[in-house]
Amino acid sequence: MTEKPTPQADFISALVWLAFAALVITGAWTMDRLEAQHINPYTAPGLVPGLLGVGIAIMGALLLVRAMRAGGHRWVRSPIAAKSVDRGRLWLALVLCLVFGAVLVGRGLPFWLATMVFVAVTTFLFQWPERRSKGQLGRGALVALACGAGTAAAVTLVFQEIFLVRLP
Amino acid sequence: MLDGLALFGSSIARFGEPMTLLHIAVASFLGLVIGALPGLTATMGVALLTTLTLKLPPDLAILVLICTYVGAIYGGSRSAILLNIPGTPANAAACLDGYALARQGLAGRAMGISTTGSVMGTLIGIFFLALFTPVLGEIALKFGAYEFFWLAVFGVIISGNLTGDDPLKGWLVGFLGLFVASIGQDAIHAYERFSFGNRDLAGGFQLIPALVGAFGFAEVLSVLSEKVARPAIHAVDSYLPRIRDVLRYWRTVIRSGLIGTFIGIVPGVGEDVASWSSYAAARRASKEADKFGKGSVEGLMAAETGDNACVPGAIIPVLALAVPGSAPAAVLMAAMIIHGVQPGPLIMVQNPQFVYDVVAMMMYATLGILVFGLVMVRPLIKILQVPRDVIMPIVFVLCVIGAFAIAQRLFDIWTMLGFGVVGYILRRFNYPMAPFVLGIVLGDLLDKNLRRGLVISDGDLTPFFVRPISALMFAVCLITILLAIPAVNDWARQAWARVRTS
Repeated sequence: MTEKPTPQADFISALVWLAFAALVITGAWTMDRLEAQHINPYTAPGLVPGLLGVGIAIMGALLLVRAMRAGGHRWVRSPIAAKSVDRGRLWLALVLCLVFGAVLVGRGLPFWLATMVFVAVTTFLFQWPERRSKGQLGRGALVALACGAGTAAAVTLVFQEIFLVRLP
Repeated sequence: MLDGLALFGSSIARFGEPMTLLHIAVASFLGLVIGALPGLTATMGVALLTTLTLKLPPDLAILVLICTYVGAIYGGSRSAILLNIPGTPANAAACLDGYALARQGLAGRAMGISTTGSVMGTLIGIFFLALFTPVLGEIALKFGAYEFFWLAVFGVIISGNLTGDDPLKGWLVGFLGLFVASIGQDAIHAYERFSFGNRDLAGGFQLIPALVGAFGFAEVLSVLSEKVARPAIHAVDSYLPRIRDVLRYWRTVIRSGLIGTFIGIVPGVGEDVASWSSYAAARRASKEADKFGKGSVEGLMAAETGDNACVPGAIIPVLALAVPGSAPAAVLMAAMIIHGVQPGPLIMVQNPQFVYDVVAMMMYATLGILVFGLVMVRPLIKILQVPRDVIMPIVFVLCVIGAFAIAQRLFDIWTMLGFGVVGYILRRFNYPMAPFVLGIVLGDLLDKNLRRGLVISDGDLTPFFVRPISALMFAVCLITILLAIPAVNDWARQAWARVRTS
């Protein structure tokens, strides 16, 4: 996480900022100015978002110029330096978390069950390479299941029963 | 002054009841564990505990959150010393000398220094919390729409400038935060902005789900995707704090406490900058500068005093201006509002007792870190040995609960997921998160006061620049922006060098 981004990464992010600023400015400019309600024009709802969009556009342009001066517009294979990041682990974490947060939770499945499945599966999959190399896959599955069941029980007890917090 | 002391005395007495002390002990312990576990930051800890304390009486809930906040900032030094991984970003500077001491077989001594520095830093910060909050509150009563507008701009500009290594990126995310705050019904006409007919979006993004996403979920993704293996934990020697360390480095302790408190007062900057600034100042002033980074007691003392002094410092603007001094303070402020306490300029008029309650809470939190700092050394080492593959899925479950529990809306879970993914991408591109958070908090203040100011002055911009406090804040913003331009910065440095030599 402490790795410095390359000029190419700054170039890409500058383009994203400029596109975002264009959308914000367009949205603010076309926003209803409530003239029919005879409001003071200085209180128009689009005023502040519009100014913020202009600010983002100016800074995005500065970032773009700076990145181009550093050669950021030249194509490279991997614009984000990420020596410490394992992309496989990243995608696995992202997919598992999104499936739990957006699919399993709040769709009728009891929260304790969703929690148990998520924690057990995530722990097992992330420990898979280490467990496999040690020939401990069965033990890994049991540990993961215990973690899942323990978390589900603890979360339900602490949040729902003791602190009366409603769970999803 | 005497009124203040009387109010403080009554607060101390009120929080001295056995049940309250039990809450303090549990919250300090939880804060310490949260801070010590890499991947669980103070912001995340305070956000999660906000959920747990929803049903508690307001003063008890805020007491728990303050103890968690103080405990987490202190607890982060444990993993910095033992694992060379800062438990929270505030403890990154403590890694340099703390881990070096641990490698020399002095992990216990390093933890003792960290405890001493943290307690001294918090006490210095508390002194200024009690002293400055009423003064700042009185100044803030003179603020009008123009001053509040500049306060919001000032916060984003200063935070963007100090929290990352690239001011331009800090300001960009600060503006993004201000824009995010404008989504939903506007505060003047209740017009739905950028909601695209979506009923949930019309209500805007809530602060706590956004923060849990940007700090919690993004951190879960970061930690789980890292390749690095966990380093070994070293044997621990005596961890009792030594009074002679304080006596020997008293100048460093006071200097770091002052720097930490001052940085805490500056909106949105936070403990990590306080820690690094104190460390750098101590190194510049030290007669043993060559030992820094190689196991310097003075360096570790400076870093830990600075970040803990920043905690009370960050609460000063929360109470006096309703502007947070750091990301965890932003969550604390949101929690105060959820519990019916409205911080801001009127607090010293309407609810002065609360200010001294907070001072007393801080005192008890300091006691909590001192006690648990001494008795929790070996149990914490056991907790730190739990693999990240087990801890992080549990942290994510807590993120989901933390996002959902306050308003019981599934939309808040999706908000947390969205902000987490965006936060992770922004971090990868080296964008700091603190200005983004501050932008979300200050967006409403900027929006309302810019438009109100323009209505009052009938479109005339002059009052934004000529009223004394407005002019001062504008000048600071302008100078900060200009000094971030390399050519201007070089010219200013050369001019300053010429002035000093002549």
